[in-house]
Amino acid sequence: MWFSSTPSRDYTIQMSAIVRAGLLTTGLISAVVLIIQFQQHLDDRIDQGHTQIEQLAQLPRAEHLKPALLGYDNLGADILWLRLLQVVGQKRITAEEYEWIYHAMDVITTLDPQYDYIYYVGGVVLTNLANRVDLSNRLLEKGFKENPTIWNIPFLLGYNYYFIVGDAAKAAEYIAASARLPGGPAYLPGLATRMYAEANNPETALQLLEALWRQTQDTETREVLENRAKEIMIERDIRLLESAVRQYQTDHGSLPRALQDLLSSRHLTQLPQEPFGGRYELDSKTGNISSSTHPNRLRVFRLDKQGRV
Amino acid sequence: MKIFSIALNTFRENLRDKLLYNLLIFALLMIGSSLILMQLTLGEFHRLILDIGLGSINFFGVLIAIFVGIGLVSKEIEKKTIYTIVSKPVARYQFLLGKYLGLSLTLVINTAIMAAGLLAVLYFQDVPVHAVLFKALGMIVLEFMVITAVALLFSTFSSATLSAIFTLAIYVIGHLTTDLKAFGQKMEGAGRSVLEGMYYILPNLDRFNLKGNVTHQLDVPAGDLLMIAAYGLAYTAFLLMLASVIFQRRDFR
Amino acid sequence: MDEVAKPIVKIQNLRKVFRVGFWGRRVMAVDGVSLEVQRGEVFGFLGPNGAGKTTTIKMLMGLIYPTEGTASLFGRPIGDPSGKAKVGFLPESPYFYDYLTSREFLRFYGHFFGLLGTALDKRIDELLSLVGMTHACDLQLRKFSKGMLQRVGIAQALINDPELVILDEPMSGLDPIGRKEVRDLILRLKESGKTVMFSSHILHDAELLCDRVAMIMKGKLVACGHVSELIAGDTTHEVEMVIDRLLPEALERIKPLAGKVVLQGERVMVVLSSQQAVDQALEVIRSAKAKLVALTPHKASLEDLFIREAKGIQSAVGARVS
Repeated sequence: MWFSSTPSRDYTIQMSAIVRAGLLTTGLISAVVLIIQFQQHLDDRIDQGHTQIEQLAQLPRAEHLKPALLGYDNLGADILWLRLLQVVGQKRITAEEYEWIYHAMDVITTLDPQYDYIYYVGGVVLTNLANRVDLSNRLLEKGFKENPTIWNIPFLLGYNYYFIVGDAAKAAEYIAASARLPGGPAYLPGLATRMYAEANNPETALQLLEALWRQTQDTETREVLENRAKEIMIERDIRLLESAVRQYQTDHGSLPRALQDLLSSRHLTQLPQEPFGGRYELDSKTGNISSSTHPNRLRVFRLDKQGRV
Repeated sequence: MKIFSIALNTFRENLRDKLLYNLLIFALLMIGSSLILMQLTLGEFHRLILDIGLGSINFFGVLIAIFVGIGLVSKEIEKKTIYTIVSKPVARYQFLLGKYLGLSLTLVINTAIMAAGLLAVLYFQDVPVHAVLFKALGMIVLEFMVITAVALLFSTFSSATLSAIFTLAIYVIGHLTTDLKAFGQKMEGAGRSVLEGMYYILPNLDRFNLKGNVTHQLDVPAGDLLMIAAYGLAYTAFLLMLASVIFQRRDFR
Repeated sequence: MDEVAKPIVKIQNLRKVFRVGFWGRRVMAVDGVSLEVQRGEVFGFLGPNGAGKTTTIKMLMGLIYPTEGTASLFGRPIGDPSGKAKVGFLPESPYFYDYLTSREFLRFYGHFFGLLGTALDKRIDELLSLVGMTHACDLQLRKFSKGMLQRVGIAQALINDPELVILDEPMSGLDPIGRKEVRDLILRLKESGKTVMFSSHILHDAELLCDRVAMIMKGKLVACGHVSELIAGDTTHEVEMVIDRLLPEALERIKPLAGKVVLQGERVMVVLSSQQAVDQALEVIRSAKAKLVALTPHKASLEDLFIREAKGIQSAVGARVS
């Protein structure tokens, strides 16, 4: 101890040393307590989350950031990615904030163009959560250019073009490109072929969706994909019902008055369940079928055989 | 009295150190250079002067605090000058406190000189000066004091080179502790406690950064300022006490 | 030890173990040293380099904490400010704040003793003239030679007019003139009633100056007492004779008496180790009509004691190893 030099015979000096040590310990502990107290007080005064997400907007372009990193580009990309992750999923993100996230991802992938996971996450999140297929495609196309051998980047592009942009021909091209790359799932080549041949078949769409669903771990994104799958199931059911209605018309010379009539005439063995828990309704004047939950039909299936609207 | 004369002697030592003048001149040149850069920019001239000026004051002050601070004690031990001090009726904590106050005085005067340079530039460019500028300068000095205490703490038990590395590391981490806390909240169990513990124990130097407020002329409420000052002083006191405990136990071989 | 003359320095069973290197290997620097220094005496603390002299002194001055044992200055435990206030200390090969002038330097140290203003200035002038440095009082210490630094160091040690002056190796690294000046200064301090304790590995200086000495080797105290007592215990008295024109047969008669014979042309040098041998040799010289050029009695010195103790330690260590 630092007071060990005091001789044992000198009792008062030893006492004062003990008192001093006690005072010091008390001082140190109270200083730590004060520090923590002040920190917490200051934390309460300033909303950290708010400032953090705004910092993303102020992130300089990668070209300007690079010189400041002194060559530690990959480390810089890692740190930015860590910070970005704290923001994503922190709270409901506004449309504006998604643009900042895109900007941050663009900076990260410029710092480290081979950071393929960022393209993938960005592609999924910007399309499905932000509804910004334009930003998603921009990021993915940058990624595809930088990483021509990563299969899931063109796969996502294919998904975007098929479902969101509605360009089945371009989508098929991307899926085929993806199928040619190593590491992808075994069903990709088959999917690509079907997309060329029957772009507007709901089964093709469902297969593509399932492929993406398996690739995705994020629960929020999976939910979006499941909803989309149900919408396609509605389209599939409507097609089934409409063809039955047309069959009924040819056989009976008139439209059925209700869907139940299709069962009694044995054109259908059972009526399909509306996946969202709604009902399918028959317009008895036109013979058109619609869903009670999703009255508008998906655009992608209004394509013609050439993949044009 | 004893603390005061050690402080004064340290101040005199700093004044005769060439490093100080080099850094000071460099800082003043940086502040002056904003005048030239101003001709290249468009729009917000004021902003450029304030950003470069406060940035230089902060950066060069930190350099002085670190590179003079680490030598405060380790140089005395290396050069054996401490032998004659400790053998006089001077307690070790008095020596430490004197050294600390001496460098703090140097830093205050340095900041005053650099601030005078900045104010002169602002005056001749007709830039309005707001109270928040002086608040920010005060906080910058507070940051120097915390960093000096960190450097002093390290120099009581390690060599000058190691102390410099440690102090620089604390300086960098000190500006990223907000991230530590944010990362900690995403974790569970031990990782969370470790990160949160680090967040509270490491100095949160970003608190002292009001440079952005000056640029955007956002005033800081007195209450916030007081709280930040209290935090800085409590942290400094903690470091100095810890340094005294370590220094008291040390053998001077 | 009578109770009236209380020792000024009292060291009891002082022990210091250093931990060196990365693995903290234990090295015993000072091993159970006990000694006392009385008021008014000049006390020499002797030993070869690395024997533990500086470590012991550093423990006395509160620079290093003892692993075991106690020590006191003026009856106060070491590190106590009231004890330190009456002590002046000059470290081994001192380094000072080289950006200060000697006047600034002394003023700085004076503040630690509450000396101020004109009283301090007067004291500084006295000290500078005492150590003969008045001419360089406004020169920065970085421009000083080693001898000049040593002098300013001594002035620094005396700033508080201490009762006890502790000097660590005050003569090392100085030229003969410098050494003589330090010796004179120590004697002057003694005259003015101060107690002086100094360490040295130069035994000649100690013999000239000290009332009492302690000798330390490999951390252990090997001898302690008055110089005359320590030497009196030593029986090796030798006489060196230088003889000219000694005939060969006369030389043959002296040879059995002598411990050592050296021939230098015409001249012969013999070393004799007893009074009887000296008498017989003188007899031979007289009868052979040779010429006695010089006869030098070799007094036993601290050096002899030192060398004998050093050998003793080495053989003891050797015995322990084997």
